[in-house]
Amino acid sequence: MSRRLAWLSGSGVMGLSAQAQASGWNMPVGVTDISAEIYSLHMTIFWICVVIGLVVFGVMFYSLFRYRRSRHPEAANFHENTTVEVIWTTLPLLILVGMAVPATATLKKMYDTSDAELDVMVTGQQWRWRYEYLGEEVAFTSNMSTPRAQIRGEEPFGEHYLLEVDRPLVLPINRKVRFLFTADDVIHSWWVPDFAVKQDTIPGFVNENWVRINEPGIYRGQCAELCGMDHGFMPIVVHALEEDEFDAWLAERRDEAAEEALGVDRDWALEELMARGEEVYGAICASCHQVEGQGMLPTFPALAGNERLIDDLAWHSDTVINGVSGTAMPAFRSTLNPVELAAVLTYTRNAWGNDTGDTVQPAQIAEQLAR
Amino acid sequence: MASKLPKPPLEHSASGAGAAASEAHAAPPKGILRWLLTTNHKEIGSLYLIFSLIMFFIGGIFALVVRLELFQPGLQFVDPEFFNQMTTMHGLIMVFAAVMPAFTGLANWMIPLQIGAPDMALPRLNNFSFWLLPVAFILLLSTLLMPGGGPNFGWTFYAPLSTTYAPPSTTFFILAMHIAGISSILGAINIIATILNMRAPGMRMMDMPLFVWTWLITAFLLIAVMPVLAGVITMMLLDINFGTSFFDAAGGGDPVLFQHLFWFFGHPEVYIMILPAFGIVSAIIPTFARKPLFGYASMVYATASIAILSFLVWAHHMFVVGLPLVAELFFMYTTMLIAVPTGVKVFNWITTLFQGSITFETPMLFALAFVVLFTIGGFSGLMLAIAPADFQYHDTYFVVAHFHYVLVPGAIFSIMAGVYYWLPKWTGHYPSETLGRWHFWLSVIGVNLTFFPMHFSGLAGMPRRIPDYALQFADFNLVSSLGAFLFGLSQLLFVVVIVKCVRGGEKAPAKAWEGAEDLEWSVPSPAPLHTFETPPHVTPQPHP
Amino acid sequence: MWQVIKSVLAAFFGVQKERQRRRDFEEGRPGHFILVGLGAAAVLVGLVVLVAVLVAR
Repeated sequence: MSRRLAWLSGSGVMGLSAQAQASGWNMPVGVTDISAEIYSLHMTIFWICVVIGLVVFGVMFYSLFRYRRSRHPEAANFHENTTVEVIWTTLPLLILVGMAVPATATLKKMYDTSDAELDVMVTGQQWRWRYEYLGEEVAFTSNMSTPRAQIRGEEPFGEHYLLEVDRPLVLPINRKVRFLFTADDVIHSWWVPDFAVKQDTIPGFVNENWVRINEPGIYRGQCAELCGMDHGFMPIVVHALEEDEFDAWLAERRDEAAEEALGVDRDWALEELMARGEEVYGAICASCHQVEGQGMLPTFPALAGNERLIDDLAWHSDTVINGVSGTAMPAFRSTLNPVELAAVLTYTRNAWGNDTGDTVQPAQIAEQLAR
Repeated sequence: MASKLPKPPLEHSASGAGAAASEAHAAPPKGILRWLLTTNHKEIGSLYLIFSLIMFFIGGIFALVVRLELFQPGLQFVDPEFFNQMTTMHGLIMVFAAVMPAFTGLANWMIPLQIGAPDMALPRLNNFSFWLLPVAFILLLSTLLMPGGGPNFGWTFYAPLSTTYAPPSTTFFILAMHIAGISSILGAINIIATILNMRAPGMRMMDMPLFVWTWLITAFLLIAVMPVLAGVITMMLLDINFGTSFFDAAGGGDPVLFQHLFWFFGHPEVYIMILPAFGIVSAIIPTFARKPLFGYASMVYATASIAILSFLVWAHHMFVVGLPLVAELFFMYTTMLIAVPTGVKVFNWITTLFQGSITFETPMLFALAFVVLFTIGGFSGLMLAIAPADFQYHDTYFVVAHFHYVLVPGAIFSIMAGVYYWLPKWTGHYPSETLGRWHFWLSVIGVNLTFFPMHFSGLAGMPRRIPDYALQFADFNLVSSLGAFLFGLSQLLFVVVIVKCVRGGEKAPAKAWEGAEDLEWSVPSPAPLHTFETPPHVTPQPHP
Repeated sequence: MWQVIKSVLAAFFGVQKERQRRRDFEEGRPGHFILVGLGAAAVLVGLVVLVAVLVAR
C-alpha cells in the first residue's frame, strides 16, 4: 500500500477528475482522434443496419399480417424477377463500398506508427502487465490490486472492482506514444476502450500500435484474450498526465530506479529481504503458488515444505531466474530486478515453515544474472 | 418447389416396399444390437438426432454453470479454472456434438426421402460414422474427471495456451476431436455419394429441394476443412508430446500460424452450421406461405457463393493479431462481400411471404423467428466486418452476442423448425400445437433476454471468457443469466413435445402439411422403414 | 465459351435469366462450368488483393 501511494505522489494524478465519459450502453467515444473516428464508423454502420432492418422487417411483418390465410386465402404464384434480383444485389454492394471507403482510411491511420515521441514496450505475462519505457531505464509490472477478499465476497466491492492496479501505466497527453507489444508466455491482448487500442501480445513476436491522448484522465481496460486461469484479473489502468507532469514523473521514476540499482551492492538484513519478498511474492507468485505457498496441483507445485526447494538453493534460484521450459513457470530474469529476485528467494526459503535461515543477497543474484 | 409430387408414388413406395422388404432382408437383430448394427438411414438419422439432443442438454448445463457464475459480480459458485473448462466444453459440445450431428441426422432422414432414394449410398459407413460420435464425446467429457481437469483454453484452443500451458488431458481432447472429425468426413462422403448417384430418375440437380442442395455444398465444405482441423490438432499433439515447435516461438514456431490454420477450418465450419439451416427454412416458408420459393436458382447460387467466399474470410477473426495492412484490408473487403449473398437469401424468403396465404403452425413460427433473429446476427456480423471498429468489438461480449444470434435462433431454431416440420413424417402424429407454441414463445423470449443485453455489455467494454466482471456490467449480466435459465428450462418442453408425439397424437396423413410439395410427403406417415425401393419417377416440372 | 463465362459471371452475381439457365443445363458440360468457375474465383481473389495493395499504398 505504501509503495502504491508513493507511486502516485507528486504526479498530480490524484487530483484529476476527468473520467472517461461512457454511457454504459454503447462504445465509448474515447479520448483520441482514432477512437472518435472508430466510434463514428460504428454508429454509421449501426444506423445503416437499422434502416435496412426497418425496411426488411417492415415488409416481412406487413406480409405476415396482410397475407395471413384468413385475409388472403388464395396465394399468388409468382416467382423470380430479374429486375428485383439485380436491384437487391447491387444496392447492398453499393452500400458496402460506401462503408469500405471511410473504414479503409481509418485503418490506414491506425497502422501509421511512424514519428512516435515515446516508445513503451508492453509485455503480457500470466497474469499481469509489464511496462518498459524504452531508452528511459524505467520499467515496472502492473498487477491487479483488488483484494481477493472482495472477489470471494468477504468484503464489499470497491468502486473500481477488478479495474484497479498497484502501478498504473503513466502516459503524456498530446504526444504520439508508440506501443510495442509482446508476451512472455501465452497470448494476451492489451485493450483500453477509450484509446480504441486493442492488440494481441504474442510470445516471440512484436506488434505495434499507437495512441495520442487528447485529455488527461484515468483510463481503464482489461486483457481481452483468454490467457488462462486469471484472464479476468489482469486489468489495465492508464494515467494520462499533462506533458510537464509526465516529464516530472518519468524523472522521478528514473531516480528511483537508479537508487534501487545501488541497493544491489549493499548487504541486506534478513528482515528487510523478508518484508520486500512478501510484497513481491504477493504481487507476482501468489496467483499460482497461492498466498500460503500450498500451490495448486497438478499444474502449480507447492512451495511450502517443498524439499527440493529447501535443499537446493542453486536449483531454486535457477528456476526463478530462468523459468522451467515446457511448464507454466516463466523466467523472471527480466521481469524482476536483482533486489526483488533476492528478496523473493529469501522469502520463499523462510516463509511457511521452510525456515532454511538463508539470506540471498542481491549482489549474489546480480552476479548470477551476469553469467 | 421445382419438382411436383410424382403421380403414382403411394403404391410403389409404401405397400410394395413393405412387402418386398420383409422378404429381401434377414430378420433384423433385436434390442440394443439392432441399434448398434443398423444400416437403415431412418434409424441412423434418429440415432443422430437423439444423440444431439442429449448433447444439447449437456452443453446447455455447462452454459448454465457459466451463467450462474456470471449472475452477479464476485466469485460465488466455481473457481476460474473450472469456469474456463465450462466455457470451453460448452462451445466444443454445442458445435461438434449438438449442432453438427443434428444436421447430419436430418440429412440422414430426409435426403433419401427428398430425392427418392431407398437409403444412403453407403449404409455401413453410415453406421460407422454415427457410432464414432459417442466414442469421441464420451472421451471428451471424461477429460473433466482427469487430474488437471478438461480443456480450459476456449473452444478455439489457441496455442500456446492449448499446448505448452495446457492441462495433461489435452492429448485426449485431441484424440476426441480426431474421431469426431473422421465421423464428419465419412458422413459428408456418404451424403455426396447419395445426392450425386441416387436421385430418382428424372430429378435433375436443379430439381432438388434446397435442403438437399445446401447439404451437398455443406458436405464439400466438410471434406475441404475437416482435414485442416485434423492437421492443426496433430501439430498440437506433436508440440505437446514429441518436442516439436510448430506453435512455440522459443523453438522457431509461430503461435499465429495456429490461428490461421484454425480459422481456415473455423470459418467454413461456421457456414457448415448455417447452410443446412437455410435449406430447412427454404422448405418450411413456402409450405406455410402456400407459394413457391421466390428465387430457387438464386438461392442455389447464393449458397454456392457463400461457400466459396467462406474460404476467403478467415482472418477477420484475427484483426487484432497484428496482420499487415494489406491483409487486413483484403479480409475486410471479402467479409463485406459475403453479406451480399446472405442478404439475397433473406430477401428471397421475405418475397416468398409476400402475397402468400400464410398460416402460423409451430414449424413456421420457428422459421420466421429464424429469419428475423438470424438477420439481426447478420447485422452485427456486418458491423464486425468493419476492421477498424473490430478493434473495439473483438473478443468482447458483442462478439458473443453476434455468434449466439447466428447459432441459437439461427442454427438451433432451424433444427427445431425442421423437427416440428418433419415429426409427422417420422412418427405419424402431429406434435402438440399448444405445447409447441409454448415452447416457441418461451424460447424466443429466453433467447433474446439472454443474448440481446450481451450487445450492450460488449460495447460497454466487457471482454468475453471472464469469470468475474466490473460492476458496470452487473445489470446486463443479471438479465442474460435469467434469460439463459428461462431458455434452458423451456427446452424441457421440447422433450415433452417429442416424447408425446412419438407416443401418439393426432394422426398425420402422407402429406402432413397442406402446402408441402417435396417428395418426402408422398410416402405414408410414419414413413415405413424402407421407402422408394422402386424409385419414383419424377416428372421434371418446366420452370415457369 | 463466351456463353460459359457469361453464365459463370451471372452465377457470381447471383442472378441469371431463366432462359439462359435452362440452356446451360441442357447444352453445357458441367466440367466447363467448374473450370471457368474456379478460374473466376481466382480472378476475384486477385482483384481484391490488387485493390487492397493499391489502397494500402
